[in-house]
Amino acid sequence: MVLYDSAMSAGSSSGSSSSSSSKPPPSSLQQDIDGLLAGAGYKVRSSELRQVAQRLERLETAMGNSPADLSQLASDAVHYNPSDLASWVDSLLSEFTQPPCQSEFMMDPVTNQPVVNNGWTTNEPHAPQVHQNIPYEQQNLNPQLTVVTAMEEDSGIRLVHMLMTCAECVQRGDLSLATSLIDDMQGLLTRVNTACGIGKVASHFIDALSRRIFQGIGGGGGSILGGSAYENEILYHHFYEACPYLKFAHFTANQAILEAFEGHDCVHVVDFNLMHGLQWPALIQALALRPGGPPLLRLTGIGPPSPDGRDSLREIGLRLAELARSVNVRFAFRGVAASRLEDVKPWMLQVNPKEAVAVNSIMQLHRLLGSDPTRTSPIETVLSWIRSLNPKIMTVVEQEANHNQPSFLDRFSEALYYYSTMFDSLEACTIQPEKALAEIYIQKEIANVVSCEGSARVERHEPLAKWRTRLNGAGFRPLPLGSNAFKQASMLLTLFSAEGYAVEENEGCLTLGWHSRPLIAASAWQAVSDSAAEFPTWDNRQPS
Amino acid sequence: MAGSNEVNLNESKVLFFFFFFIFILCGQLGFIWKLENGDFVLLFNSFWYVVKVVPLNTWVLISNFKLAYNLQRRPDGTFNRDLSEFLDRKVPANINPVDGVFSFDHVDGATGLLNRVYQPSSHNEAQWGIVDLEKPLSKTEIVPVIIFFHGGSFTHSSANSAIYDTFCRRLVNVCQAVVVSVNYRRSPEHRYPCAYDDGWAALKWVTSRTWLQSGKESKVYVYLAGDSSGGNIAHHVAARAAEADVEVLGNILLHPMFGGQIRTESEKRLDGKYFVTLQDRDWYWRAYLPEGEDRDHPACNPFGPRGKSLQGVKFPKSLVVVAGLDLIQDWQLAYVEGLRRSGQDVRLLFLEKATIGFYFLPNNDHFYILMDEIKNFVNPNC
Repeated sequence: MVLYDSAMSAGSSSGSSSSSSSKPPPSSLQQDIDGLLAGAGYKVRSSELRQVAQRLERLETAMGNSPADLSQLASDAVHYNPSDLASWVDSLLSEFTQPPCQSEFMMDPVTNQPVVNNGWTTNEPHAPQVHQNIPYEQQNLNPQLTVVTAMEEDSGIRLVHMLMTCAECVQRGDLSLATSLIDDMQGLLTRVNTACGIGKVASHFIDALSRRIFQGIGGGGGSILGGSAYENEILYHHFYEACPYLKFAHFTANQAILEAFEGHDCVHVVDFNLMHGLQWPALIQALALRPGGPPLLRLTGIGPPSPDGRDSLREIGLRLAELARSVNVRFAFRGVAASRLEDVKPWMLQVNPKEAVAVNSIMQLHRLLGSDPTRTSPIETVLSWIRSLNPKIMTVVEQEANHNQPSFLDRFSEALYYYSTMFDSLEACTIQPEKALAEIYIQKEIANVVSCEGSARVERHEPLAKWRTRLNGAGFRPLPLGSNAFKQASMLLTLFSAEGYAVEENEGCLTLGWHSRPLIAASAWQAVSDSAAEFPTWDNRQPS
Repeated sequence: MAGSNEVNLNESKVLFFFFFFIFILCGQLGFIWKLENGDFVLLFNSFWYVVKVVPLNTWVLISNFKLAYNLQRRPDGTFNRDLSEFLDRKVPANINPVDGVFSFDHVDGATGLLNRVYQPSSHNEAQWGIVDLEKPLSKTEIVPVIIFFHGGSFTHSSANSAIYDTFCRRLVNVCQAVVVSVNYRRSPEHRYPCAYDDGWAALKWVTSRTWLQSGKESKVYVYLAGDSSGGNIAHHVAARAAEADVEVLGNILLHPMFGGQIRTESEKRLDGKYFVTLQDRDWYWRAYLPEGEDRDHPACNPFGPRGKSLQGVKFPKSLVVVAGLDLIQDWQLAYVEGLRRSGQDVRLLFLEKATIGFYFLPNNDHFYILMDEIKNFVNPNC
């Protein structure tokens, strides 16, 4: 009888074991071990499964972000005890450095070369590390993906169902039922993971609904809706960093503006919302490098007034001027402080009839859609004076969403879908604190869409189709964005973003979205010439 | 497959993340169904979204494999075998029955190949721990012998890998059969046709063991089975057996590894979505196929441009299991089609919402459906 059996010598104590491999009987400490994974040779505590899953996701991201490190890791790293999956994943994670964060991107639209302004540090060479056990609490919990058990998914669905029911109650005016639904939802939230996924989005919408029910629709009270201009700028900046939507907006608009300015020696950009002026270094650089030399560039930046005596508009203008000087672009800056865009009068912009004017509106036009029936609508007023400037181009970027419908319930459900998609795309960002602050930025939008009405509700997003109709009707005609803009936008995505973002062409406009859902749309327009608009008669000294 | 027949997926999009948001829209805008198998189907904006929930421990298991394998494959086509062996969880054989199954390893003197044999334990406890290699399995009943080829894309795993040891034990209990798990030589160290040669050697070894015989006619009743690359091996060994007139009663192919030069729709759609990427598939084919060959080599694409028909060949009946979230399913379905066109008996089990490796852990419906199908397939009374 020929028999080779390693178990004979390995000990026959396994006769009493109930597992299919000859392991010693589990000690009381190990009773929490997932039995199925144990059968596959891995010791993972059931209570730790989710964390291990999250760390696996992080590891995958880290591995994907640095393929060079990967080969080195594979050959150099010392692995210990792969059965202890949690610590194996941790030890690998500790081998990877943080991926570098390139905060200031600039692409030269002309030469297609990245132009780095603030020279970010590159990958530090990493020395192979001794296996470390990083305590769970110290880790930057970064769930990019949540794996959900059947029970939790049920809770997720119930949450959505309840949100919709609550919104319906609010629309009907049944506030007592809405209130009890809020309570139930808060309870349900404790059973889902609110760090990401449906739990996170739901918690923001529950907050917004609570706010509407308990504090009314005036938009006052509560820090989430207020916030100083300074705070808003910070949030905006982090939203800019965390995901590609604003970069796409700036990039696409700059490309169109650059093309519109061809052949002009005096150009004037009017920016409806300067913020930190993130859009303009790239344009300045591009103009510097354009064949035939740069034009004289004037930039008029509109922004909210700074309450504390700081002139933030001017500070930013100075920085941009500094940059322009360094690349030999003649540059002049003017800041226009206004709390609302409709308060701006065209004479404040001091447009010279000989300049080529570009009007740049990144997510500002929708704020003008709140209408008081007793007055001319702000949007009509503003569009009409834009026309009167006879701009060579008007670049418009807007959220691709239908958040201005008359029915609250329709708005609510649209917003739920829109912001869930946006949050989903944000999960792809791994950089903190950008991601956290970007989320607050989005949260403020949600709060405004859901809990405000009347003049307080400024986030009145409308989809591209509606803007087309509106702008066509206001005397503008579309300037199609071409395939080079599309190509560069796609390139931008591969440089900066995770899989899942998609640029699409939509009848001359470009949209950026997450998977099949466009979330932001960029378009360019020109005023239809008529004799009244041909030569503006504004005089610098004359108020309108 | 429970429930999926009731939903007409005219255009289905399988979402990237396992967890996705589910939206119930008021009124006529959205519809949501909960299927019998626990999954949800949502109609929104004229697209069907299927929400897939993979059990957490399965996700952890297979993601761990995915990342560990990424570390083992080198871009230049070489393989870090040391690291692979270090990381692979292995278990020894056990002559003492555990849950009704015992196992022992046997080295084929002629080839040096290791086979791990799993058998149902005797009802007589006094017999435990003893294997008599001179008596047949049974003189009266037929006891099928399933020759199992483990998966691993021709490169990973062994017969004594924990996941496969566990799986083979389950097979023994479900079918009340003997399972022989073959430790075939792997790529890239051993390319085509080594795995097939080893499979053929194992088949010859099994059919020549008197102690694997059963039934009144005292013969070995052989089935071939395998998952992923093992399924591919099972096919080719069966083809060779047919040519050599060696009887194989049936083939069980669990998401078998096939491919081809063109990119199919499922490959494009599911690339990178459920643990597997086209890039890694390409790597494994490059590691297995002879150097310079492309994926239309008949080993990879048996019914492709360089394949040959099995018309008129005495090929065993086949049970082909396709996971609906496997990116190479189009190739597997083409294989089924190829068998049918050759007039062969093939049963397709299409598990629409199964991912690869769904059978490693018995924590989902697909697992139990699969086991039922295998049990009926190997039933000696059929």
